[in-house]
Amino acid sequence: MTAMKTPILEVRGVSKSFGGLRALNDVNLTVQEGSIHAIIGPNGAGKSTLLNVLIGLIEADEGTITYAGERIRGLSPHTIIQKGIARVFQTPQIFPGLTLVENVAIAALAKRDGQFGLRILESLRPGHPVMAEAEEHLVDVGLAGHLRSEAQHLSRGDKRRLELALCLAARPRLLLLDEPTAGMSRHDTNSTIELLKHLSRKGMTKIVIEHDMHVVFSLSERITVLAQGTVIAEGAPQEVRGNPRVQEAYLGGAHT
Amino acid sequence: MSNITEAGLATGYARAASRQPALVTGTDLLVIGAFVLVVLTMPWWLVLIAGYEALATKIVIWAIFALGFDILLGFTGYLSFGHAAFFGSAAYITGLSLKHLTSDIVPAMAISFAGLFVIALVIGVLTLRRSGIYFSILTLAFAEMAHALILSSTLQAWTGGDNGLTGLPTPTLLGSPMRGLTVFYFASAFLVAGFIAALVIRRSPFGLMLRAIKENPMRLEYTGVNVFAYKMSAFVISAMYAGIAGSLTVIYEPYVATEYIYWSTSGEVVIMSVIGGVGTLIGPILGAGFMLYFENVIQGFIGEQWKLVLGLIFVFMVIFLPGGFVDLARQIWRSLGHRIRARRYNVPDMAPEADEDRLRRRLDREEAEAR
Repeated sequence: MTAMKTPILEVRGVSKSFGGLRALNDVNLTVQEGSIHAIIGPNGAGKSTLLNVLIGLIEADEGTITYAGERIRGLSPHTIIQKGIARVFQTPQIFPGLTLVENVAIAALAKRDGQFGLRILESLRPGHPVMAEAEEHLVDVGLAGHLRSEAQHLSRGDKRRLELALCLAARPRLLLLDEPTAGMSRHDTNSTIELLKHLSRKGMTKIVIEHDMHVVFSLSERITVLAQGTVIAEGAPQEVRGNPRVQEAYLGGAHT
Repeated sequence: MSNITEAGLATGYARAASRQPALVTGTDLLVIGAFVLVVLTMPWWLVLIAGYEALATKIVIWAIFALGFDILLGFTGYLSFGHAAFFGSAAYITGLSLKHLTSDIVPAMAISFAGLFVIALVIGVLTLRRSGIYFSILTLAFAEMAHALILSSTLQAWTGGDNGLTGLPTPTLLGSPMRGLTVFYFASAFLVAGFIAALVIRRSPFGLMLRAIKENPMRLEYTGVNVFAYKMSAFVISAMYAGIAGSLTVIYEPYVATEYIYWSTSGEVVIMSVIGGVGTLIGPILGAGFMLYFENVIQGFIGEQWKLVLGLIFVFMVIFLPGGFVDLARQIWRSLGHRIRARRYNVPDMAPEADEDRLRRRLDREEAEAR
């Protein structure tokens, strides 16, 4: 990581309150293009809220969010996503009654046709280019086994992989991951880390929320630590690990 | 996940260059052919089961209504309780055009089509902001407002108030008056076209987006899709089917009843869909046929209490067969299949091969890891 790289995302002074609770307090965040940036912090620190604010699921009370040189705060969620952002949620968000291929095809179609298209004279049967592409993405995440079964029958870990395949099919520039390895075996966790690293080498930027310190330290190039909605530390993994404030607020118990 | 390798990802999208599959396959042509045959011969076979010719026309008209309703309810999961507003408005607009402007059906239907498009857009914009029960109640409210408007003293001079719109001429098609089988075939043409269109929509990228709305609208929005625009399109398309049915009713019987725009009409199309099988396209068509056959033929055998019997059938269906007639047919088909397989091989059903393969691969992996 050189200082010459341009930031793909810049969050400046973002705050958000829910009633009396200040979920985000003057948060600043700079993410370099092509990097893997982890956000850590204790439960309720505002990590998910921050990701929700980025994609317009929740609107910030104040502050600016600049993505690829463009202010995106206040835009509708689908407009923000169409600019090249994808989001993996904490609870896997998939289309349960649709097949795995259909799940992923939806994201590929959203990439191809934009936010809306009255595409009626096309038949999405096996062999359609979009379906073939969806299958490729499913193979990439290791779900080649049952492409045409309904997504609702998958295990929780597999649902997470399906959601990842769905997000990858949108070919995002910036991928937001909320605990991407929760509920996975150690083996699957490692393969997911490999996949994410591989995608970064191809230039995809990632912001990862993670509780598993093994994942955080083997994956990320920069770490931002949140506690009670405030950024208490930011830096390279080694700096953050050595920071006494972080150890006190968060790592103290979990550090192994 | 051992297959995640540099090579594996690098070859990605290689197959994406493949050609698009044809819009209609041989199987589709068989299905459509069978459908056309059954529909077009209805006036004759309906007589064989104690029906009558005009009932066939009525069934075809309501089948169009129910089919359109399924594009909204079956695909997107939005339950409208106000589709009478579209059926009724189209009937009134068509009736008024026939009475005051032209006795030819083509311009009258064109005017009704254009008017209904605007009505559907306005009601859609105002109701689709909400989902679930709130959407249903909003659509019901708009339909009731439309009903009140038709009966209002200000519009009574035009709409005929409580008496409905009377004194309509028999509509003409290219100069000749439409009666009997002409009406039936005219309506059937719309049903067949509507059925093919619905089949094509279901398998299209557009149709997939509609089905995704039913499954998880939030995921869809956060995949970069304008969910509202898709909902709106489905709503308008569905309203246009209802509108065609409404216009055809005026040809079937040159008269517009206030009941066409009343909530009972909305309720009837909901019951047809549920009895037939929501989301199956053919189900609601069967439901429409069943309901009208029951109301007009079976009623004569049962007598006074026919509505009670119909109600019991509906309750029975909802409790034991929520998938409707189509689900019943599927279950029978499947259990027959099971029985035949069991007899032939004398073994219980096996897990699908893909799952077995997958399990074996996973076990292999875990074993290798342990070593």
